Amino acid sequence: MNICFKGIRAVNPAQNLDETVNLWIKDGAIAHCDSSAPKLDPGTEQIDGKDLVAAPGFFDMHVHFRTPGEENEEDINTGCASAANGGFTGVVCMPNTTPCVDSVAVVELIENKAKGKLVDVKVAGAITKNREGKQISEMFELNDAGVPFFTDDGSCVMCTETLKRAFDYALTRDLLIAQHCEDHTLTEGFSVNESIFATKLGLKGYPSIAESNIVFRDIETAKYIGNCRYHVMHISTARSVELVREAKKNGARVTAEVAPHHFTLDDSIIASYDTNIKMNPPLRDKSDIEALKLGLKDGTIDAIASDHAPHALHEKDVEFELAPCGIVGLETALPLAMTELVHTGVLSIGQLVEKMAVNPRRICGLNVPEIKLGELANLTVFAPNEEWHISTKHFKSKSKNSPFNNFVVKGKQKYVFNNNQVINCVL
Amino acid sequence: MEELSISRPYLLQADDLTANDIQSIFSRAQFFIDNYKPGVKFDDLKGLTVALTFFENSTRTKLSFELASKRLSADSISFQSSSSSQKKGESLIDTLRTIEAMGVDMYIVRHVCSGVPGFLQANTCGAVINAGDGKHEHPTQALLDTFTLQKHFGDLKGVKVCIIGDILHSRVARSNITVLRTLGAEVKVCAPGTLFPRRLNYWNVEIIEHIDDAIEWADVALVLRLQRERMESGLLPSIREYSNYYGVNFEHFAKKPELVLLHPGPVNYGIELDYNINQYPNVKIQTQVTHGVFIRMALLSLIAKQLKVKRAKVA
Repeated sequence: MNICFKGIRAVNPAQNLDETVNLWIKDGAIAHCDSSAPKLDPGTEQIDGKDLVAAPGFFDMHVHFRTPGEENEEDINTGCASAANGGFTGVVCMPNTTPCVDSVAVVELIENKAKGKLVDVKVAGAITKNREGKQISEMFELNDAGVPFFTDDGSCVMCTETLKRAFDYALTRDLLIAQHCEDHTLTEGFSVNESIFATKLGLKGYPSIAESNIVFRDIETAKYIGNCRYHVMHISTARSVELVREAKKNGARVTAEVAPHHFTLDDSIIASYDTNIKMNPPLRDKSDIEALKLGLKDGTIDAIASDHAPHALHEKDVEFELAPCGIVGLETALPLAMTELVHTGVLSIGQLVEKMAVNPRRICGLNVPEIKLGELANLTVFAPNEEWHISTKHFKSKSKNSPFNNFVVKGKQKYVFNNNQVINCVL
Repeated sequence: MEELSISRPYLLQADDLTANDIQSIFSRAQFFIDNYKPGVKFDDLKGLTVALTFFENSTRTKLSFELASKRLSADSISFQSSSSSQKKGESLIDTLRTIEAMGVDMYIVRHVCSGVPGFLQANTCGAVINAGDGKHEHPTQALLDTFTLQKHFGDLKGVKVCIIGDILHSRVARSNITVLRTLGAEVKVCAPGTLFPRRLNYWNVEIIEHIDDAIEWADVALVLRLQRERMESGLLPSIREYSNYYGVNFEHFAKKPELVLLHPGPVNYGIELDYNINQYPNVKIQTQVTHGVFIRMALLSLIAKQLKVKRAKVA
């Protein structure tokens, strides 16, 4: 590896960096990073950086790689390929696998498969054994094995007594509890957001309060136990954003992530009964999208996470009400965030890098890579102004269940560097 | 006689129908009423194969479509499965492909899941007719209901129709609201909040809170069947309370004997309607059933015509 970007904009809010440099990456490390002309080795590949941005490698704290158990949908190889093609150099896999991640053995199984990849793969642990919401899992041992946080994602810890115990136990080591906020008693049999569109289509709705009531309960519980660290996953409603904003103002150690589809699409498009717009939480309404954007802008929402949820074609090619929830998202996250947030003035490029590279790592307690001489190269290079058509046929994910096929977007990932490897993003 | 036609070679939901489409279907249905004699068959569907694909139990709708296709000389095959095909390990799309490979032209589809007719139409070059999909739509029921009303009133413009009962779970209500409005009728509804949550009023339809006020206002009461499972799932405190507060009874007819009453059937007598209400002249429940066959004949006839046009273009 021996590549030099000439005159590239290097952006990393974690080191107060936003300047145009000549960035030379050699043998996995940064060999030059300032405005002076580097004395390049003969044979160095030179790339014009005029229309490019270099940022710390993006980190997606919410992906489903379906391993172990559902490797027909995704495996570690294709998941990592998809992440790299999406501009990500690190991910956190959710624990709702079969068997689920409630033991060190499963953590090691996943991490072993990910050895030697460009993409760093972390694994979140389940809050409760078998994600049943009853008995808390062996959090200390899982944490010692490198688990960055705990969640029963896919399910919410419904029993408040169990949640209270999880917070009490986690506080011993100041571990992070992340919640899939869904009051399951309100959402049984849902297909879409509860709204007038659901009425028109004759579909059972998932009311916004099913999310925000849990967010409220959890914030109160975390505060009561002793200002525990708490993270709201895939936040989707205006009221949830308000609750997180208020909690932060009051000093709570609360963070939140949002998925790109939730700030891009609203639930009026469900009229198509396209199973690729069925996800959990469901697409919300236009006012929720505005609230999510405001939450990103004012820092209430810390991170953008794809909730990459692959499903095989035959699983989605069924009756809408029977289709599984979820869409693939790694390869469309940056373009959607650029199109919907940066090019509309909601976020600066620096803020985008915070949400996609800096904050997710900080929430997970990981170091943020720096862009400076001598550092290992952990970088994402993207073209912020390139317009293109999304085509799912280029996705490296094993699954193609995306509603964004043929969408026109502005902003495209180009290269990722990590672990002494480089991948050219092809989309 | 002028050439009748409709806009689309399928019927998935009431929105697919323009006012002209509906009047064409009505005209064709009237033609069949005027010309049908026992033993007579029409050749509108001659050479076409119709598959009745019912993934949910049905008696009246299935018989009605079956008779309609036979009177039009179609070859028809029929399929009924109370459990979804998925439970048997076969996907719906595979079932469709299997039937299609046998050379079927038109599919009459009923399914417990909303949206299935559209899903099938997107995957076939035949014509799909929605015979009731989940809680979504039942457009032929709305056509036969409005045909019955048009024959009674002459014109639906300004006719006041109140739909009474479980709007939230009713495909009949959904299709009727659209078709009634397309034809210029005025629609209101009467239902408790659990069976029509006020915040989910997609149609922005006015809600009459009291059944007595509803009957007083309406020219037509379209009474929906109350599924017992609504009580069992906790949406209603009791059948008794529902019947007392939303049932249409003899007292209503005593005050307004000319009230036109429609019900898609089968009726839960003693719950949404008093028994023996049929003695009133404008209770149209049996007429609806009779019209159902002719309306479905008309629809099949016009869709077959459109299908032939579409196929000629492709060829």
